[in-house]
Amino acid sequence: MTEAPIFEAEGIEKSFGGIRAVNGATMDVKRGSITALIGPNGAGKTTFFNLITGFYRPDRGRARFDGREVQGRPPYVIARFGMVRTFQITKALAAMPVIDNMMLAAPDQPGESLRNVLFRPLAWRKREQEVHEQAIELLDVFNLTRLADHYAGTLSGGQRKLLELARALMAQPRFLLLDEPMAGINPTLGRRLLDHMQRLRAEDGVTFLFIEHDMEVVMNHSDRVIVMAEGRVIAEGEPQAVRSDRAVIDAYLGGAGHGGIE
Amino acid sequence: MTDPLAIFPLGLTFEAFTDIDFWTSVGIFAGIYTIFALGLQLNVGFTGIQNFGQAGFMAIGAYSMAILTAEEGMNFWLSLPISILITIAFGLIVGLPSLRLRADYFAIATIAFAEAIRLIALNARDLTNGAQGIFGFDDSWDSISESIEDFIIDLGWTDVPGLFPLFLVTWGIAVLMMFSLTRVQGTPWGRVLRAVREDEDAARALGKNAFSYKLQSLAIAASIGAVAGWLLAIQLAFVVPDEFQPIVTFIGYVVLVLGGLANYWGVAVGAIILWTVLEGLRFLELPISETKIAALRFIIVGLVLIGLMAFRPQGVFGKREEMVLGD
Ligand SMILES: Nc1ncnc2c1ncn2[C@@H]1O[C@H](COP(=O)(O)OP(=O)(O)OP(=O)(O)O)[C@@H](O)[C@H]1O
Ligand SMILES: [Mg+2]
Repeated sequence: MTEAPIFEAEGIEKSFGGIRAVNGATMDVKRGSITALIGPNGAGKTTFFNLITGFYRPDRGRARFDGREVQGRPPYVIARFGMVRTFQITKALAAMPVIDNMMLAAPDQPGESLRNVLFRPLAWRKREQEVHEQAIELLDVFNLTRLADHYAGTLSGGQRKLLELARALMAQPRFLLLDEPMAGINPTLGRRLLDHMQRLRAEDGVTFLFIEHDMEVVMNHSDRVIVMAEGRVIAEGEPQAVRSDRAVIDAYLGGAGHGGIE
Repeated sequence: MTDPLAIFPLGLTFEAFTDIDFWTSVGIFAGIYTIFALGLQLNVGFTGIQNFGQAGFMAIGAYSMAILTAEEGMNFWLSLPISILITIAFGLIVGLPSLRLRADYFAIATIAFAEAIRLIALNARDLTNGAQGIFGFDDSWDSISESIEDFIIDLGWTDVPGLFPLFLVTWGIAVLMMFSLTRVQGTPWGRVLRAVREDEDAARALGKNAFSYKLQSLAIAASIGAVAGWLLAIQLAFVVPDEFQPIVTFIGYVVLVLGGLANYWGVAVGAIILWTVLEGLRFLELPISETKIAALRFIIVGLVLIGLMAFRPQGVFGKREEMVLGD
């Protein structure tokens, strides 16, 4: 507990018209942890992601990633810091091939600047080869290799979810925020994805914050759980402790009423 | 009434196929519209931003070249790059405030911009000579044109049309642009543009500054529009506000749709089809008045477009998958 958290949010607030979607959310994410963010439907989890990744501007509050303020910065800057997110509703680049979706995400491609395209053709071509290899390797992990040349728009819902995840990994994040990554993915592949997360954490020290409704996944695969309800963080801790927390049980039973915590 | 064609209510006169001066001029227009619409292709087909102000950029290119040369006495060749810089500056003025907003605001801003430019050209008489327009900027071009003509005559073609050198230069530029744009589109830079077209938020989440790419796309399209403007000015030998009506941009979109989105070579095909149909119909002999024939030409172009939408909505060169998967 001596190491500084990789991410801290303090008193984040956001209202849409009359609805206070996020109402003073405060949390820390431990470096190198796999942290689950749970809460009933409408708790403000997705909105919280949007607020800390620059897609929405918070009305109030601060967020720091690895010592740097992130609130008020545009999404692309935050992504380049190494804090990369995926979307609950997938955003496949439909009319682009799967492989281009992947290669797009790679950082440090000099060929993304027009000046380098014209004056440093060797540099970007070389980088392009590396990126292509990485993309193929990652597609392999998610069973997408044979779809590499298909348009992303022809993929099934589950395949798109996998593609979006693989694509986020291409961006070489240090902190990955996943919005319901398992939703719509078959259990075998889902397990593979979780294994891959463990491996990335162990080998590259990547930190994960993932929103998830499946309690079995949360209990077995996260080392910390943060619970949101009505725009606030109402509990956090080890999975087993959170599961028996009175406030959490009440939130699930009394809140939107979408099943219990079990 | 011994003309055998007269017994048919519908027919083409013989000169339709022989009037080389006429077809040279049509070819130049097709080339100018190809260049003009290449800018639109970059914006609409590859970046997903709806630029409805391309005629405005064309106007700025033509006017700044003409004003600098004819009124300020600047060297013609120097006026060309400067007119590009001026056009880019206008592109940034339009794009900076509006490209951050929702897509439809940008579309509206560009229409308004192009009309504002045309109205300024019409009314700022001290600068633009109003509806009379500007003449006498093309001496340098004329001498180039004569050299090219002499060269062709030396090759053995003695009755080369006077506009033929312009035809060659126009299509030379068009082909060069199609080639370079296609090449650049295949680079990582072009890939980011397509990602922005597909889903701006996804691109931003992956660390791409979508706004900057849209701005670059617009600035390049504006420069391309300026080149089309020079050529139009040279072809007509004058620059008047009337040449830059909003209809010009819309015809550019017709070219895009005909040729197909997201393909630069398709733009040339679209422009050639459009101008051949449009001008070829001038030779249609019908027992109706000239003005009715003029209207009929556009009706036929409309029918061609409707037919295309029904049978090949992706255009001649467009990819059907990309169109269907667009959203
Ligand atoms: N752009 C928006 N405009 C208006 N209201 C919004 C907007 N985004 C979110 N909300 C509202 O904020 C609240 C929280 O929504 P959010 O999507 O963050 O919930 P969530 O915890 O992700 O739920 P779920 O588990 O169902 O995905 C909801 O009441 C929602 O209607
Ligand atoms: Mg959500």
